[in-house]
Amino acid sequence: MRWILILAALASACVHANPLAYDLQPRQIADGVWLFEGSTDNFSQANGGNIVNTGFIVTDKGVVVIDSGPSRRYGEVMRQAIARVTDKPLLKVMLTHHHPDHVLGNQAFSDVPIAALPGTTALLVEQGDTMAENMYRLVGDWMRGTEVLLPTESLEPGMLEVGGRTLQLLALSGHTGADLAILDVQSGVLFAGDLVFYQRALTTPGTPSLATWLADLDQLQHLPWKQIVPGHGPLASDAAPFAQMRDYLGWLDGVMRSGAEQGAEMNELIRTAIPERFAGVNLSRYELIRSVSHLYPRYEQAAMQRVDR
Amino acid sequence: MELDWRSFLLLALFAVPWDSWGSQRDPVTSVMWDYYHERLLGGEAFVFDERVKLSAPPFAEDARQVPIQIDASAFDGQVVRMLAWAELNPIPQIFDFQPGEQVLPRLAIRIRVEQATPLRVAVLTRDGLWHVGSTQIDAAGGGCTAPSVVRAQAGWEEHLGEVLGKRFVLADANRLRVQVAHPMDNGLVGGIPEFFLNQAQLRDRSGNTLASLELFPAVSENPTISLDVKGNVETELWLRDNNGNEFKAEL
Repeated sequence: MRWILILAALASACVHANPLAYDLQPRQIADGVWLFEGSTDNFSQANGGNIVNTGFIVTDKGVVVIDSGPSRRYGEVMRQAIARVTDKPLLKVMLTHHHPDHVLGNQAFSDVPIAALPGTTALLVEQGDTMAENMYRLVGDWMRGTEVLLPTESLEPGMLEVGGRTLQLLALSGHTGADLAILDVQSGVLFAGDLVFYQRALTTPGTPSLATWLADLDQLQHLPWKQIVPGHGPLASDAAPFAQMRDYLGWLDGVMRSGAEQGAEMNELIRTAIPERFAGVNLSRYELIRSVSHLYPRYEQAAMQRVDR
Repeated sequence: MELDWRSFLLLALFAVPWDSWGSQRDPVTSVMWDYYHERLLGGEAFVFDERVKLSAPPFAEDARQVPIQIDASAFDGQVVRMLAWAELNPIPQIFDFQPGEQVLPRLAIRIRVEQATPLRVAVLTRDGLWHVGSTQIDAAGGGCTAPSVVRAQAGWEEHLGEVLGKRFVLADANRLRVQVAHPMDNGLVGGIPEFFLNQAQLRDRSGNTLASLELFPAVSENPTISLDVKGNVETELWLRDNNGNEFKAEL
C-alpha cells in the first residue's frame, strides 16, 4: 500500500512538473557576448521549436537581445536566463529577419523597444499570422499564448552606438528579402542570422535568388569578424561556415539549373543524390524537397520559351 | 455434386489471379476508397498495383502547387484511360487522360491540396481491369481555398492562354513540358466563379489526336504539364477553358 502511494505521488509530481520547459543555458562566447544555441533539427513537439540560435550583448548601459525565439514561452525563459547573467536593463531587441523561430518570443519583451529592418516588419505583417499558425501545428502546446508582436522601431544599415558599444548593421536580403546581420565591432562576433546556416541545410522560402544570397555571403565574409554565430548550427571561429554555404548554394543551383535544361520533373529532382560531402549537413533531403518547391519554377521558366500560336 | 463453404473458399482462392504486384490490400490509409471506386470507376474490377507509379513529395511545401507524376509505362500499349484524384480534396478529380498509341502513359502535373490526403491514379487497361497506383501526402492545407496568385497580378487577363514550353529528349521519349497562363478558378474562393481549362488535346500536324486530357480545377493555377511522346513527331497542343476560350501551342 505504501508503495502504491509513493508511486501515485511520483506520477502526480510528473504530471504537475511542467514538461514543456525550454532548457536555455546562456554561453559566453566573448566579452559581454552570450549565445543560446539551439539544435540543428526540424521543428517538433519534442523540441518546442528550439532549433535556433539567439543571443545577447551586455553593454555598459544595458542589454541588446538578438532574436526572441520560436514562442512566447521561449522568450520568457530567455529573459529569465538573461536576468541571471546581468541585472542591467534591456535596451533593445533586434530581429534578424521575420521567420517564426526568430521572432515569436517578442511578447516576452513587449516593454522593450523591438527593432527590425522595415522590410522585416512588412513581411511579418504579411506572413506572421500564417507562420504562427503553422508553428502551432508543428510544435503544439509549446506555442500556447503565442501571437505575433510587431517591431516598434526601424533599423537602418550602418554603425549603431548602443550603451557604449558599436554595432555594425548590414541590411541584406539573400535569405528572406530582408535580412539583418549584426557585427559587434569590439568583440568581432558576427550574428549572421539565417544568411549563414552551418551543419544544417539552409532554407529558401522567400529568397530573392541564390545569386543574391551568394553576394551577401561575400559581403559578410569581408567584415572583420572573429567568430560567426550562424542562425542555425554551431558557433565557428574560422571561415568553414562560409565555405559550406557557398558549396551548398552552388550545388543547389546546379541541380536545378541542369534539371531545368534536361526537362526534369520536380518529383525527379527531389530524389537527387545528396553529395557525400554534405553528409554532416542535417536535414538536407528535407530542405531539398522544400527548395525545389520554392525555386524550381523560376529555373523551369528560364529554360522554356513562348510556344503559343 | 454439392460444394460446402470450404470448397467454395478453396475454389475462390484459385480463381483469383495471383501475381506479386496486384492485390486487394490498400497501400494507403483511406476512408474514401469504396466511395471513389463506386463513383469514379463505376464499381468495376480493380487491383492496387505497384507497377502504376504515382510520385509526390512526402509533404506539400506549397499546397497550391503540389507536383505529382504518374508513370504507367509498365502497361505501355494497353492503357485506355488514366484517372487521377486527391481523396480528401473538396474538388477531388485531377485529370482524365487518354494517352493514345504514340504517347506514353506518363504524365506530370501540379495540383492543389486542401489537407493531407491519399492520392490515386487508376489506369484502365484493354482487358477491362483498373490498376490503381496510390500515395499519400501530408499538408498544412488550404491550397484549394487560397486566394489566387494569378489574379493578384495586374493585367493577368492579357496573358491568358500564353504558353511557355519546350521539348526535351529523354532516353525513351520526347518530353513536352508546358506551362499555360490561366487562373484555374475553382469556384471555392469567394465571389470568383469557376473558370478553368477543362480540355486539352495533343495533335500531330495533320490534326490527328495523339492524346486527350480532361482537366478539373484541382489542377493548380498556371497549369504545368509534362507529356512524353514516342519519337520526335511535331505536335500541336490545343486547350479550351469552360468559358469557351481556345488556345494553341506548337511543340
